[in-house]
Order: sequence, then C-alpha cells, then structure tokens
Amino acid sequence: MHEASIALSVLEIAVDNCRKAGYNRIESIRLKIGRASGIMIDALLFAFNAVKTDTIAAEASVIIDEIPVSGLCSSCGKDFVTEEKYVLCCPECSSTSFNIKTGRELEIIDMEVF
Amino acid sequence: MKVKVVTRILEANERIAAENRRLFDEARVYVINLMSAPGAGKTSLLEKTIKELSGKIKPAVIEGDIAGTADAERISSLGVPVIQINTGGACHLDANMINEVLGSLPLKETDLLFVENVGNLVCPAEFNIGEDMKVMLLSITEGDDKPLKYPLMFQESSALILNKIDLLPYTNASIEKIRKDAMSLNPSLKIFEVSCKTGKGIAEWTDWLTEKVKS
Repeated sequence: MHEASIALSVLEIAVDNCRKAGYNRIESIRLKIGRASGIMIDALLFAFNAVKTDTIAAEASVIIDEIPVSGLCSSCGKDFVTEEKYVLCCPECSSTSFNIKTGRELEIIDMEVF
Repeated sequence: MKVKVVTRILEANERIAAENRRLFDEARVYVINLMSAPGAGKTSLLEKTIKELSGKIKPAVIEGDIAGTADAERISSLGVPVIQINTGGACHLDANMINEVLGSLPLKETDLLFVENVGNLVCPAEFNIGEDMKVMLLSITEGDDKPLKYPLMFQESSALILNKIDLLPYTNASIEKIRKDAMSLNPSLKIFEVSCKTGKGIAEWTDWLTEKVKS
C-alpha cells in the first residue's frame, strides 16, 4: 500500500548518492528486497516508473534481488530457507522457537551512473 | 560507473524514530504504539485505561486518523493532553508525523504517551515511530483467523489485547485458536482478554502496563 512512498525514498536516496559521486544520470539501481518485507515488487516498479519522470533517473531501470526467508531453529539447531513469506514453525522439526535471519530486507545496494 | 549505496530504504524513518526515542527518553516518557483494525476499540480501550490509571500515571495521547477529530474529542473530555494527526489518506503513522507534533505535547509532565495508530492491520506494523512497545488490539468479532492472515502485527507486538469478550457467546470465534496461533507467531506475546464495555479484564492490563511504565 505504501509502495509509492518507498519508490520516492528510493529515488531520493539514489539521486542524492549520484550527485554526491559527481554524476548526473542514473542508468540502473539495484535493490535487495526480502520476501517478508511486505513489498509488492510489481507495485514498487510501477510506482518507481511514475516518480522517476523528469528526474536524473528518468531512464533508470530497477534491478531487484529477491531474498528468501531464512532462519535458524533453536530447537533442532538447523538452518532453514523457505519459499514461504511467513514462517510459523521450523520446517524441519515444527518447533516455534527460531530466529529469522533474512527476508525482511529493504535496501539499495548500488547503482550504475554516468 | 558503479556507485555503492547500501542504504536501508526506510533509513529516513528509522533516523527520525531514533530522534523521537531520544526525546522520549530525555523526558522520561514511556511510549506505546497502539494498533488495530478500524472499530476494534482502540479509543474505548484508551478511555478505560486512562480512567483506571487516573491519579497514578500521567498520560497523553496522539490520535492518528485519516480524517476527523472525533477520537481526540473523546480523549480531551477526560482532561488528558491530546493531539490529533490527520494523515489525509495515509494508512499509517510514521516517525516524522510523530516528530512534527511532539513540540505541542507537555512531554516533561507526561509519564505515558499512547499513540493511537490509524486503524489498519497491515502497514502500521512496518513503521517504527520511536515507541517503547507496540500493543495490538483485536476484537473477537473480527474472527479468530486474523493472526495467520495478518502475521506481522502479531509478531511485532509485545502485547495483544482481545477486546469485546462480552460478545463471545454471539460469535463463532475461538479464543483458544487466537491464543494458539498468536503464540506460534510470537512466543513472548502477552495476551489480555478484556471488554471495554463491561470493564472486565481492564485492571489486569493496567496493572501490567503500570509495571512496565514504572520499571
């Protein structure tokens, strides 16, 4: 629902970093988005295409690295990775005591500028 | 040319949340981010809680709604400092909205600040505002399937208050199922059963809350 404000934040951070590095055009921006971050990637891309108009990112494409949910179970001690967005119990032993390690990411990694 | 950025996209919100937190700590105010679906009874819970804490703890309230001042008027009639934020459409409060109104609250004379978030089970859970604790309210008339349908809010909250338990005989909701599913999402969740209408369970909640605020 707030993909548009997130797209604006991405644009702001990217434009800022591009200018700081002494460049004037952004070619691509790479994001890391966890599956449990609550972000709908299609909606984010749609919003970004709308907000980038008339900025130095007008031609920029967005590349997304989707990060699956992973964790470490404190009962069986096993690491797990799942296709699910939400983990209710350890996929190995069904215990509910586990720590999520990845899946909540919402970051800009790097970008191509010229 | 490749430029490394490595920035959290919501970093701006996190930064302002940390600044809010600093202001709260400085003024020694305990802050609760109160979240629920629309109509679960957030304002009713605040009314009951404020009356119960009267003379023991000095509260203040920030009301978040898309439009209107109805909630702020209800709280204000209790003689408690209250600020209404109208988000004008936004589905949640963020750290900056809170930061902008803090100057209008008597923080130094406040022990406990309730932030009543916009009624919504999704987005409020994703934005920190600098609170000490997130508390979630679920009315049993919403159904016992909510923990597994909206897991994030149950995971992020320290306490879950089940409201409208006086209506239990008229619904198909199972408190046991809510408890079981909510605890599987968040084993450290503290659960209270209350009725803001009859007052049942309110004292147990306010006793627990008082301990948190005073510690």
